[in-house]
Amino acid sequence: MPNARVLRDIKARNLVKANEITRRAYLYVARNQSLPPQVRYQAQLQLNTFGKYTRPTTVKNRCTVSGRGRGIMSEFGLCRFQFRLKALAGEIPGVQKASW
Amino acid sequence: MAALAPVPSSRLAALTRLRCAVFQTSYNPTSARTGAKYLRARLRGPSMVEYYPKELTVAKFNRLCLGQWKIVDTTEETRLADVEAKKKRGKGAPKKAKTKGDSRRSHRKR
Repeated sequence: MPNARVLRDIKARNLVKANEITRRAYLYVARNQSLPPQVRYQAQLQLNTFGKYTRPTTVKNRCTVSGRGRGIMSEFGLCRFQFRLKALAGEIPGVQKASW
Repeated sequence: MAALAPVPSSRLAALTRLRCAVFQTSYNPTSARTGAKYLRARLRGPSMVEYYPKELTVAKFNRLCLGQWKIVDTTEETRLADVEAKKKRGKGAPKKAKTKGDSRRSHRKR
């Protein structure tokens, strides 16, 4: 069972996906300078009614094994310690301990 | 070598308009924001959802089976039994506050 922060992140990811197209449409109207200011303002107000977890910036890549939020190697989706454990166990292809 | 005469800005603007027509880009000399970048950008949701590997838990499996099969979740049963035992000893979770005055936060010392 993943920890609560990972569960929250999964929830955010699903909500971002569900609301992405509507949000983009409102963003287009709100940022379009050729449209009348009143329309743009209404679109911005609509944008503000979306939930906190519908914004893509609330999504954070966490470690897929331990759920740690810091020290993530984005290529592998692992935190530095899990990366070390897996690399030493030979579970990550093409990665080996340096020695010279 | 003859010195180049300065090109008038109207000629440059005409050139830009012609270039836009040739390469099928929109002519926008004042650089006004059109919001096109929000429509042009790829959707990020589909790849975001696939970040964590899909995990099948006992509870999820039972929900998928729609009551046809059922696996006994031993850890969950142990947890519920522990909660019951704690409640019997008076160590359960406190009651939900009905009003704001009942809440434990209102008596907190600063």
